[in-house]
Amino acid sequence: MQTIKAIAAIGALMFIAACSSNTNTASMEPPSASTSVAPGSIGDFRQNVGDRVYFDTDMSSIRADGRDTLAKQAEWLKRYTNYPITIEGKCDERGTREYNLALGERRANAARQYLVAQGIPASRIKTISYGKERPEAVGSDEGAWARNRVAITALE
Amino acid sequence: MKTLRLKLLVLLMLALPTAAWAQRGDAVYVEDRLNQIQQSLMTLTGQLEQLQYRNQQLQQQMEKMQADYEYRLDTLEKGGNAGPRPAAAPTPTPAAGGANLAASAPPTRGGPQGEALYHAAFKLLQDGDYAGAERGFRTFVQQNPQHVLAGNAQYWLGETYYARRDYQNAMVAFAEGYKTYKTSPKGPDNLLKLGVTLAVLNKKQEACAVFARFLQDYPRATDLQKRRIDQERQKNGCG
Amino acid sequence: MMIPHRRTVLFAAASAVLAAPAARAQLTIDMTKPSFEPVPIAIVDLQGDPVGAQMATVIRNNLQNSGLFRSIPPGSFIEKNVGASAPPRFPDWRQVGAAGLVVGSVAQSGGSIKVDFRLWDVIAGAQATGLSFTSQASNWRRLSHIISDAIYKRVTGEEGYFDTRVAYVSETGPLNNRVKRIAIMDQDGANNRYITDGATIAITPRFSPTLQEIVYMAFGENKGPPRVYLQNVDSGRRELMGNFPGMSFAPRFSPDGSRIAMSLSQDGRTNLFEMDVRGRSQRRLTNSPAIDTSPCYSSDGSQIVFNSDRGGSQQLYVMPSGGGGERRISFGEGRYATPVWSPRGDYIAFTKISSGGFGIGIMRPDGSGERLLANGYLVEGPTWAPNGRVLMFFRQQRGGGVGLAAIDVTGRFERTVPTPTEASDPAWSPLIPQ
Repeated sequence: MQTIKAIAAIGALMFIAACSSNTNTASMEPPSASTSVAPGSIGDFRQNVGDRVYFDTDMSSIRADGRDTLAKQAEWLKRYTNYPITIEGKCDERGTREYNLALGERRANAARQYLVAQGIPASRIKTISYGKERPEAVGSDEGAWARNRVAITALE
Repeated sequence: MKTLRLKLLVLLMLALPTAAWAQRGDAVYVEDRLNQIQQSLMTLTGQLEQLQYRNQQLQQQMEKMQADYEYRLDTLEKGGNAGPRPAAAPTPTPAAGGANLAASAPPTRGGPQGEALYHAAFKLLQDGDYAGAERGFRTFVQQNPQHVLAGNAQYWLGETYYARRDYQNAMVAFAEGYKTYKTSPKGPDNLLKLGVTLAVLNKKQEACAVFARFLQDYPRATDLQKRRIDQERQKNGCG
Repeated sequence: MMIPHRRTVLFAAASAVLAAPAARAQLTIDMTKPSFEPVPIAIVDLQGDPVGAQMATVIRNNLQNSGLFRSIPPGSFIEKNVGASAPPRFPDWRQVGAAGLVVGSVAQSGGSIKVDFRLWDVIAGAQATGLSFTSQASNWRRLSHIISDAIYKRVTGEEGYFDTRVAYVSETGPLNNRVKRIAIMDQDGANNRYITDGATIAITPRFSPTLQEIVYMAFGENKGPPRVYLQNVDSGRRELMGNFPGMSFAPRFSPDGSRIAMSLSQDGRTNLFEMDVRGRSQRRLTNSPAIDTSPCYSSDGSQIVFNSDRGGSQQLYVMPSGGGGERRISFGEGRYATPVWSPRGDYIAFTKISSGGFGIGIMRPDGSGERLLANGYLVEGPTWAPNGRVLMFFRQQRGGGVGLAAIDVTGRFERTVPTPTEASDPAWSPLIPQ
């Protein structure tokens, strides 16, 4: 009797696990029609996981949307362990040059700590800051500024 | 036996993933909390800096206001009008050393024009422009040595040095104030500050001598001033 | 060699001196007064050699650009071809409205140049100052700057700043992939040359007190972290300053050139360190969990001002140059950055960021007397002329486009400083050692 109960419990557990892993996969992969990148490729990481997290003005704390992205990044990076990782921190132009270099480093480091906390070995992740020297978007409007307050997880 | 093993297995299967989840969740949670604490710490540091700054500003303002009130009360007691300006027009005095000052300020014959100079210097003092205030008060005293505000100006001249930690010049100015304007409304403050300056310059003996003179010269000094003298005597180990 | 070496400018004689104290009111200027008229000055082409006309042009530009002088157009001169040998016809010069008259003669022979110059007080009808010197012929521009400095000093009573250089970041290419190289040029934009090759981004140059070296920050190849380099200007030889695990940046020389203060970043914290230029020993100056950067020594080397966000937003702090005892000095609205101590010690210039945009301002070293001199969408990074009377900074337009600008401490005259490419991050040198 007890054995049966136990087996049922195990079965239920496995079913749940399967379900959750299914939903995970589903959420990570877009409909197959638009999938043109090989799973596990850098393109896959950029397109299907998201390689960047964004920050509020003059801030380096990870926002809720960034937290989701970094969780997905950690999952993917644990599955594909062959990529060395460099996190690039950047800032919008409305700060002074030197301060922004340091702020970019703080942003990159905040993202790195999140990945480490989710099980990516610290030794695998380098950081670099570009401050406001290498903007992702050109322009002096809120749209461009927002895209430039970023930490990009770059794979080699 | 069998059931026990199975139970264990089930427990393990249940426990393992949860432990892994918990561990991972904890690390992220701790990371989050640390960041929040760091952020609050920085905000608090900033607020503390602001408060200290404002406190310092208020203290300076209070000292100036107190000096102003004392001056007004004093004029009231003497039957003058309690406005910011003294009622009695001082006797016009030939500007001592007026020749070399002509360049920095228009020549005055005392009276309202001189007063304007005094108030301008006082404004500079309040704004923290000590060098400007120094020039203003010095010019005022030189041009209007008999003016009812001359003692005040001499005292504030000392304060402009004291604020800049130029204690040597502060000492000279306060000593001059004591010598020349002993009976001015600022006389007691002047003597008190002379003692304090001497103490800062590590001339403890002289400082104590000055504090000892205080009650003798100014038996009617305010309680606040008397308390301050007591404090200073204690601080400098005066017998 | 483009850059004159030390001591190659030989002062054969600093002849002639001040004269006519009686009526020099018109040829002096008190820069501390709230308002004054620029001194009208006539600068005649130096006689005797074609280079004399070029020298006069350099002098006219220098004086006109200072905002303190008005150069009278040579076309209106009545007396022509007046040289250094004989007194001018003063009534002719009074008639064109000149208060001062600059004349001179040049002679070249065998690669050397001999220059005589006189500044005449036109109102008093007497010589105000004069110099004569011999140097290498290639130094004619420097000689023109030295003459400009002599005129500036005679009229204002302050040291000049024309015989100086400016290091800056030359910017070319698309805005999202710019080539940023360190360049140096004379203060007036002449003799421009590049110090780095542009292979990686290089920024924040600073001159050593002798002008022999430049310290700057450059990114490494292949995503290497930014590091601080010391480079000899003439030989081009460059050395890495310290080998730190993280990013090192924001280098500044101490006034005597023996030490370099800089920022090191690690694990999200950025602190200030100081490095001995010769012995390479290093020590920590700050230890905060925040960002401490943009250090600057006071002119006597005893203190350092820097910006930090330890209080939640960027503010200015002063501490003894050995570290410890940091004291916040900025308490106005907004954020404060890139503090620079005036060579005179009387002011600290800074970049201010507030809701209205960016500004360049000055305050006393205790934080009082704050005054904004320039503002715009983005103005940043003031640097002092060696006499502490003029600031240079950079101005970026909305949507890109950067260039250098200069403004005097009264905030009266702002002008564009011409550069061959777009430019940012200027660093003004001390007077070139003679």
